[in-house]
Amino acid sequence: MSEIITEAIEKYRLSENATPKMKFSKVGVVGCGTTGQGITLMIASRGIEVVFLELNQKLIDEAFQEMREALDEKINHWGMTSNDKKLILSRIKGTLEYKDFVECDLVIDSILSKTREFSKDIRRGVFKQIEEHVSRSAIIATNSTSSVITELASDLKYKDRCVSLHFSTTAPDAQIVEVVKGLYSSEEVCENIKKFAKLINKIPVPVEESPGLISVRLGVSLISEACSLLMEGVGSMEDIDFVMKKGLGMSLGPFEMADKIGLERVVRWMDDLYNEFGDRKYKPSPIIKKLVRAKHYGRKTCEGFYKYDDLGYKLKDQTQNVVCTNVE
Amino acid sequence: MKILVLNCGSSSIKFEFFSMQDEEVLATGVVEKVGMKGSFLKLEKPSGEKVKFVGDVLDHKIGVEYILGVLSSKKHGVLKELSEIQAVGHRVVHGGEDFSGSVYINDEVIKVLEKNIELAPLHNPANLKGIYALQALLPEVPQVAVFDTAFHQSMEPSAYMYGIPYSLYKKYKIRRYGFHGTSHRYVSARALEILNKKPKGTKIISCHLGNGASLAAIKDGKSVDTSMGFTPVEGLIMGTRAGDLDIGALTYIMRKEEIGIETSSVLINKFSGMLGITGVSSDMREIEEKAEEGNERAKLGLDMYAYRVKKYIGSYAAAMGGVDILVFTGGIGENAINLRSEICKGLAFAGLELDEQKNNTRAKEEIISKDTSKAKIMIVPTNEELVIAQDTYEIVRNK
Repeated sequence: MSEIITEAIEKYRLSENATPKMKFSKVGVVGCGTTGQGITLMIASRGIEVVFLELNQKLIDEAFQEMREALDEKINHWGMTSNDKKLILSRIKGTLEYKDFVECDLVIDSILSKTREFSKDIRRGVFKQIEEHVSRSAIIATNSTSSVITELASDLKYKDRCVSLHFSTTAPDAQIVEVVKGLYSSEEVCENIKKFAKLINKIPVPVEESPGLISVRLGVSLISEACSLLMEGVGSMEDIDFVMKKGLGMSLGPFEMADKIGLERVVRWMDDLYNEFGDRKYKPSPIIKKLVRAKHYGRKTCEGFYKYDDLGYKLKDQTQNVVCTNVE
Repeated sequence: MKILVLNCGSSSIKFEFFSMQDEEVLATGVVEKVGMKGSFLKLEKPSGEKVKFVGDVLDHKIGVEYILGVLSSKKHGVLKELSEIQAVGHRVVHGGEDFSGSVYINDEVIKVLEKNIELAPLHNPANLKGIYALQALLPEVPQVAVFDTAFHQSMEPSAYMYGIPYSLYKKYKIRRYGFHGTSHRYVSARALEILNKKPKGTKIISCHLGNGASLAAIKDGKSVDTSMGFTPVEGLIMGTRAGDLDIGALTYIMRKEEIGIETSSVLINKFSGMLGITGVSSDMREIEEKAEEGNERAKLGLDMYAYRVKKYIGSYAAAMGGVDILVFTGGIGENAINLRSEICKGLAFAGLELDEQKNNTRAKEEIISKDTSKAKIMIVPTNEELVIAQDTYEIVRNK
């Protein structure tokens, strides 16, 4: 076999136009906890390179370990082949420095939000740091539902480049992403974000700037009301879930959903909504608070409303006794 | 006339450039990873010289632009001017019920192709992108579409209908379409040519055994049945595709494994077939090696593979009232000596007797049945690109 000569392709283009650069060939993610990992995998599995930023090497290693496990889980359930896994992982890089975002067309903030006020300041810092290292055309987005994008954008040099991009990480295969246009966001940026959504096979749903957007606000309300039903003894945990699944065609009941999201996150979301709207209906239910205090966060700790095995499968007939009744 | 043949996949564009005077291949190549990181164009010249062009290929249009640019370049080109390209032939996967032959592409045809996207959501959009690109880049050059499904449009309803409510056929056009039509058509015609026989009255069974695999029953030069159906997952056991499977088993698996539609599609398309059975590989050569080393599941896989093909040969012989020629083609069909031998065992009742000596050959046109065999068994390497070029030539010339 003769040797293969390698050349650059650019000069063989027919038209004189400059070759357009690939858009969204590389995306940055800040923070690679559970949510960041979900976003990273979602994007990398669509053939796009992802660089994620963490605080230290240990967190990077942990994130990789957990992502490998998540992919193995998919392979075990026939969702992808081990070849797909290799390809996806080869597209992901961990970093400790913002300067590695330099080639990214989009950087998504996915840092853990402890409380709204606390995270807002950190996020503003993150946004500024990102802006210092990316090109003028790069888009900066947050996955947070409680932060208002206009607020986050306000310190930036180019405020038009910011949008909110909320992925449903509890259902990574869900084909939607909520997109919020801030006060400053330009039409061009919104158009590009729509293109990006299509690239990763999601339908962008336009949502007005409002804490909790659609998914979180309605999701936690449902969970909260389910807790009330449970406390009032209207139905058992399993029956409430069962009715919602069979009766309303949901794939998870409210308690199963809460366990999947993570109960500490549910509480955080509700606290944020309560602070924002001041409506008591957003006060986290005492049942959830009780579980969170006991560090029963749901699937990831194998205990929440239900109990789970190491692989995250629900153990049959094993619910937590969360409602204290003295009636024997 | 010089003709460019394009085969656009979702992230690749294969091309072959023909001079039709003597059907000579002037250049061949592929653009890989269209729209992805690490994209490149690989060109192979008739001299065997290979050149790799590296850089961003944003979409199919730019990919086609680079193909034209390379073909007409001073350094690596094979034509002085682009106007030397007089026609372009496209491989189009799904023609639905609308096309029973290759067609000259006009706005009407494009509309129908767009309508048929639903039937082949993975393939047809990419095929169309190639057509749009050529329309934009070389608007004066005639284009022709050659369909994988067209050859099988001659099937009778009794062969192509499924035993499901008729309303579903009416609503969604659920029926057997069959694929690899260009290959089945080429090898069956070529076999007749070699044997100096007429299509009329000749019964041919052609086995296209490659990574995807299908059989076709061809009578009087027309396809009367084929093993792939509404999608390319039906029929034979393939590299990673299941082939025939009880639908009841699939719904049972979905319930038991708690998987949805997308995942079950991955299961039957990527985890099944030879890979799923043997646990070794989807590659026939590796499986044969393992089987020789005594790997039981590899042996089981080979047995199942051969048995499934044999079963189809029997049923197609029944469908046509006999068989005169059995043709093997495709990567496995042309090369797997032992498999051909296994498949043909016990087919003497149908007049098919393999000559083990003659069978000991690979990838060239050969008659491999015994001289005493009533029906002929042959190897005919397939050449789908040539068929596309020939059809394009005929259609454009007669336009």
